[in-house]
This record gives sequence, structure tokens and C-alpha cells, in this order.
Amino acid sequence: MGRVGIIGVGHSRFGKRSDASLRELAFEAYREALDDAEIDTSDIDASLVCSATHYDKQRSPAGVVAEYLGLNPAPTFNVEAACASSAVGLRTAWALVNSRLHDIVAIVGVQKMTELSSEELQELMGRAGDVMWESPFGTTMPAYYAMYANAHMARYGTTQEQMALVPVKNRKYGTKNPKAMFQKPVEIEEVLKSRMVSYPLKLYDCCANADGAACILVASRNKVQRLSDRPVWIAGLGLASSPMSLAGRTGPMTSFQVTKNAAKEAYKMAHVLPRDVDIAEVHDSFSITEILNYEDLGFARPGTGAKLLEREETDLGGRIPVNIDGGLIAKGHPVGATGASQITALVRQLRGEAGDLQGDNANVGLAQNIGGIGMYAAVTILRG
Amino acid sequence: MGFEKFGKHGYVSQAKVAPIVDYLKKGELAGTKCLECDSLYFPPKADCPKCRSTKFDWVPLNENCKLITFTEVFFAPPEFQKETPYLLGLAELEEGPRVFAPIDSRITRDYLKPGALLALHPSTNENGAFYQLEKREQNYLRKQ
Repeated sequence: MGRVGIIGVGHSRFGKRSDASLRELAFEAYREALDDAEIDTSDIDASLVCSATHYDKQRSPAGVVAEYLGLNPAPTFNVEAACASSAVGLRTAWALVNSRLHDIVAIVGVQKMTELSSEELQELMGRAGDVMWESPFGTTMPAYYAMYANAHMARYGTTQEQMALVPVKNRKYGTKNPKAMFQKPVEIEEVLKSRMVSYPLKLYDCCANADGAACILVASRNKVQRLSDRPVWIAGLGLASSPMSLAGRTGPMTSFQVTKNAAKEAYKMAHVLPRDVDIAEVHDSFSITEILNYEDLGFARPGTGAKLLEREETDLGGRIPVNIDGGLIAKGHPVGATGASQITALVRQLRGEAGDLQGDNANVGLAQNIGGIGMYAAVTILRG
Repeated sequence: MGFEKFGKHGYVSQAKVAPIVDYLKKGELAGTKCLECDSLYFPPKADCPKCRSTKFDWVPLNENCKLITFTEVFFAPPEFQKETPYLLGLAELEEGPRVFAPIDSRITRDYLKPGALLALHPSTNENGAFYQLEKREQNYLRKQ
């Protein structure tokens, strides 16, 4: 039993949601989470709206989202940590509840990306890195991760065929997740022949911009015990930072120190080791990222991450199933919603409610969420 | 003002370290050195996070460096689409600091292994001034 638990989760359909606005997407996830927890809006003491706000047409979106969900006059504010926004929202909510300031807090991760014009998206695209020293040379998000991929290939002999196993696995599971953006599987050949984005990463190695929302309701121990017959506890939280500039980082660029630091904190707090993790959700923004994450989280030794894919150890039924809901690559990546989406998938696994995608005897679940080009990373460990 | 002249397309115009553009235009590679604790910064910093001093001097830097990693960009931001594909690299200067820079387009991917010997050379274009990673021989020939 922990000090803070999760009493409800909800998830909108992800993808190109031309039918819905930001606030309407948030409502889909929020409504499902309240139904799941069997509570009312009046039970919620505060809400955290998590989004990478540079993508939003609405300035300071917590204002309209809280209004639309009916959450006034309870406190609300935005939490922003790029792609890790809602994982950081969960950590913030944990602190608010553990401090006894609030009893029940709603974390609403949401992003509306596909209504931006391609000009607006492209204008944002060039500024993903350090705008003084790196963006002036034409950087992109895939370019940064591609630099890690080339370093890993050169040092350990990792191949593009091995990287292709990540989208092949995740798209396979996406076909069984009705809320995923992509519902068709892909073959290795299709990945290898897809258009080059930033060598060696090709189109199918990359996650896609999407619209969507996911919601988590956290509560104090007393409330959890009163409200939930299948509680899931927040056992460990880790959060770390790295220099935003690539030049500010050290080492051979074959791993994310930021993930290692966050994982160390989370494992210590949860009193678990990597081998104790039954199921995981990791940040597969790009194929190479999932491979590095295996190594940085201690699931595989440095340089051997791709072997887990070859031996199907991270498939359903394997030693540690990873991204069994399809991951970012199949679900799409509505930036602010992704962290909460990962937590939603784990909570359903730990409760044994994952249907066709249910893993065996899942008791310890781990979510890892990277922000931006690796300047933030959050690791969250849940216990069923 | 003036910093928008740094790089191939500048996003930031105002910075205390804007004089780097003038050094690059003169063909000189310069970093900053903290006058309190001697820490060397490249790219330059006007402030020292180690000792919190704001007193610094510009110092010349050795151009020799080694490659750490690279990529070749095919899908680029709008201002760079005319140049695709282009190479970007991360290298470590002999004096210690790391640098993120474009790589000379005459270099091919097979040369770009970690540890490959390179030189960071000042360059100019229609936007202003920047630096790029070149093979050391080319750098040597240019100086003759």
C-alpha cells in the first residue's frame, strides 16, 4: 500500500481528430476517468492541465479546460515539460496529495496538434533545440534522435533492421488498441523502404503528431481505500534533467543519462530492481529511443537493447512486455497526453482489465517519458 | 542586436555574446574565458555557472576536433529546405568543449565515424557568419 493511489483513468481516441476541439478532447478522457473512479466533479480538489502549450491555439489552456470540465472554482494550472508534461503533472499531483493540501487531483493531459497549418508546424519544428547555438544550423526533433542512433550503430553495431523491429512490434499491438491512431501493422521491409527523415531514421521509425487526451485521478490513501476496490499505488517517482544543448552533454551519446538518473530515483523510492518490473511503457518517440530506453532502464546491458526485440522478450508473453498498447509509434503522440496515456495503459494492465492485450500476473508497472530532445525524463513505478 | 547574424538562419537577435559574429567574420574562432575561475566556454557564455562571475574575456580557440556523432537531414525546417540533404555533427574540440555544427557538404557519410579527425572552421554566408566541421587536410590547404 502506498501513500498516493490512482482511482481512475480515461483516454480519448488518438489521431487526426478533426471532429473535436482541445477542450472537447479533454472532456472525453475526463468523463471516462470519472466513470472509472465512480466519483463526481465535486469530489475533485484541483486539476492540472498538462500540455506543451506552444502547440495550443488557446493561450494558458488550463483556463478553458477547467471551465469546460466544470472544475471551477477549484485550483487549476498548466504543467509543461514538452512530451513529458503529464508525467510531470502526475509527480506534481503526488506532491499536492502527499502534502495533504488536496485529497483528489485530476491530471488532464491533452494536445491538439493537427489543426495547426503546416507553416505553423514547420515554424515550430526548427526550434526544438537550443535556439541560440543549434537551431541556427537546421535542427529537427528526428535529427537529434538520429544522432544518438548513429552513435549507437557505430559503437555497438546496431542495425537499421533491428531498429525496424520497434515499429513492427508496436504497430502490431496498435491493431488491438481501438484508441490508437494507426490500426494497420507494418513489415520490416516497409519500414526500411519508407522515406528517409534524418539518417538513419525513416518515416516509420518516427511517431506522428496527433490529437488526443488522457486523464488520471489520484487520491490520498484514505480516499483510495474508501473509493477503490482495485487500487493501483504510485510506488516510485523519478524526474531528472539534462542540458538541452546536445553540446552540453557528456559521454559517447549512446544513452540518455537523464533516463538513467530518473530511473535510479524511481527504483530507489519503489524498492524495486529492473528485473522486478512486470510490464513497461517506454517513450518510443523514435525506434532508436525504445532500444536506448531498454538499456537506460536496466532491462538490457548497454549495447544489447535490440536483442530483446529479436528474442521477443518485450512482446506480450515475453520477459517484460513493453508498449503493449502500441506505444507512441502506433497510438500517435499528442505531446501533452502521452505521459497520462502510458499511465492509463499500465493501470489497466495492473487491474487485469487490458482484454486482448492483458499481460500475465502484472504487479509492478513502469512508465518512462522523455521530454523534448532529452532535457527531461520521468520514470513512474506503479504497483497493483 | 547582431546575434541574428550567427548561423545559417538566426532565431535570436539579442545576446551579450553577439561579438562572436565579428570574430567569425574575421575568420577567427573565439570562446570566452571566465576571469575569476579560468573556465573556458565554447559556444561562448557571458556568465559563469561555476563561480557566478560575469567577467569574461574572448580567447582564441584551436580548431582541431574529433567527431562524436552526426546525422544527415532530409526533412528540414522551412529555412533549410533548399539545402537538403545536409549533414549536422557533434564534435569535441581538443581544448575540451563540445560543439554542434554543420558538416562540410564535401564530406561523405562513410568518413563520419566517431573519432574522425575534423577542424571547426569559421565561414560566412548571406545571413552572416557561422562555423562548420571540415576535414583537417582541407583546412590545412586553405591556410597555405
